[in-house]
Amino acid sequence: MTRRILIMFAILAVVAVALGFYALHLKRKVAREEQAATPLAAGVPAGNGPPEPVTLYVANDSDGTLRKTQLSVSLPVERSERARAVLRILMAQYLNSGSPHPVGDKSDVRQVYLMNDGTAIVDTNSAFADAHPSGVLAEELTVASLVATLNANDDKITRVKILVDGQERDTLAGHADLRRFYEAGNIGQVVKDMQ
Amino acid sequence: MTLRPQADKRLLWFALLALPLLIARWATVHAQSSPEQLTVYSPQTSYSVSLLDLQGRSYIGIVDLLEPLGSVDARPDGKKYKVRFTPPGGRTVEAQFNDDKEKAKVLGETLKLPSNFFLQNGRGYVPLSSAAEIVGKLLAKPVQLHPAARRLFIGETPMRFSLDLDKSNPPKLVISFPAPVNPSIATEPGRVRFTFRREPVVSNGQDSVSFDDPVITGANFAEHDGLAELDVMATEPLVPSFADGGRSIILSALPPPPQVTTVPVPQLQLPAQIMTPQPKPPAGPRFLVLIDPAHGGSDSGATITPSLVEKDVALALARRVQRELTAKGIAAGMLRNSDIAISLDQRAVSVNAARPALYITLHAANTGRGVHVFTSMLPAANLSRQGFLPWDSAQAAFLDLSGVVAGSVAAELETRKLPNTTLVAPLRPMNNIAAPAIAVEIAPPDDKVENIASAEYQEQVAQAIAAGIAAVRSKLPEVRP
Repeated sequence: MTRRILIMFAILAVVAVALGFYALHLKRKVAREEQAATPLAAGVPAGNGPPEPVTLYVANDSDGTLRKTQLSVSLPVERSERARAVLRILMAQYLNSGSPHPVGDKSDVRQVYLMNDGTAIVDTNSAFADAHPSGVLAEELTVASLVATLNANDDKITRVKILVDGQERDTLAGHADLRRFYEAGNIGQVVKDMQ
Repeated sequence: MTLRPQADKRLLWFALLALPLLIARWATVHAQSSPEQLTVYSPQTSYSVSLLDLQGRSYIGIVDLLEPLGSVDARPDGKKYKVRFTPPGGRTVEAQFNDDKEKAKVLGETLKLPSNFFLQNGRGYVPLSSAAEIVGKLLAKPVQLHPAARRLFIGETPMRFSLDLDKSNPPKLVISFPAPVNPSIATEPGRVRFTFRREPVVSNGQDSVSFDDPVITGANFAEHDGLAELDVMATEPLVPSFADGGRSIILSALPPPPQVTTVPVPQLQLPAQIMTPQPKPPAGPRFLVLIDPAHGGSDSGATITPSLVEKDVALALARRVQRELTAKGIAAGMLRNSDIAISLDQRAVSVNAARPALYITLHAANTGRGVHVFTSMLPAANLSRQGFLPWDSAQAAFLDLSGVVAGSVAAELETRKLPNTTLVAPLRPMNNIAAPAIAVEIAPPDDKVENIASAEYQEQVAQAIAAGIAAVRSKLPEVRP
């Protein structure tokens, strides 16, 4: 075996080990993304960092109130991913059996887009709107809860627009106006009235 | 006359200053005057095309006219202008025009235009009066042009309406169309005007109709400037509402305000020579509450129980509220009194056209307990209530009065020990209402959801709503119809 062949084998071995590490990295990345795409159950961490306090405004249909709740959860670092994770934790509360403010099965937040002017575009899935209980108060509680929760965890979010499957809708379930932008300041007053 | 050199200089400066101002004024006037347009109605769409005035005749761009109807490939070739047109799913046909010539070829046939074809900046223009013939040949469909009104109808698009007067008390006029319509509605003293811009509404053969009725006296139809207008004349205010999925518009006279006093009025016996008929005084301000039972038709709203839906509960409650208001001497109209679908925009248009003193929309839900009273979530704005208001935030100008009514209704609910909450809500179409407006949502009174339909519960809620409105009636301005 010549020296040249030995060097070639050594190089190929190094490349094979490097590719192995890269494949492992890709596998872990896919696993992380799949975890993020699966609807959350209450209490499941949403990120890999250390747990941190998350404020939720949880609606209650029976007395028409919003209750401030704090959880300790791991969140992603990136702002829009954090916003989405916070909303999915809120949604998980509503998806629990026995929730005081149930929403339709498989309701989820597909994406949150943050604009430089303080606007958050919340893209929900069709199950969220199609199966949402219909009613003026029930729909208002949902909207107020989403907006107040976003603003409580990221005070740079000052107004919110809700989309369904990437499209604008007239109403959530026949009542709450989804064509408008919701100002966090206005919702703040509503939240006070609802507490 | 001679001027001194200094005066000459001043005159020159004045002229130099005045000239740009005159040019700016000329440009402003010409920029504001919109060009005439042709409205085209086809089975797929309706659209407008600008007209060009050339040598005192109206001309239309052939590509602008054909483009919304199919694929167009048009190109000048020297003095010739060749057009290849393919309708959706059809075969390609050709036409050829010649600059400054009357003769053209459409589908190989020679066509004599009423005046010369023009090429301008690479675009071809045909006389408006030839548009129907050219489009008809290219599409192989009958096409009608109403030249004075500047409206072009392709195929079987013209939509004829019928008028049906119900002389019951109060009288109703039902205007029926073969397809849904969404006209703009304007009320003026003595008439309601419907303007059809996108709908191919045409005369039903009689442009002017007189009715043998003291309230709804007649109707006039006219078309001009690319639109159609239907005026309904009346001696009393009329409330328009949509029915049959937008295929019918019902114009109803308001019920007369109920008499709360029964003191007999002494009849004066006057000598025959002075018993001349007196002209009817103009309609004065009146206090009208317009009740809107939410949802209807295919839109059932919330499912309260498997056999009970929101639209039915809202309608039942609305009828009770109307009865209670009438008993208190307050005129009350209903936006729907049957199971019909009305869009949110149609509701707002009808309410604003009726100019009520108060709008109240009624809802029902199986979540929560008791009664929820809402006003709009808009931020308060110091807007004048006169003149035009922005559509999306018209309610902002009335929020203070809406809040007064909501507070009064909540107080009456409290008096009757009915659980209630007062909130703002992002509820459509409240933001579009140019009048004081509240929403009332009833939820079950107790743990039994089906009790939401209990006559006793609904009657209590209706009485509280009517009492709350009556208590603040003096604070709400009456409105001149």
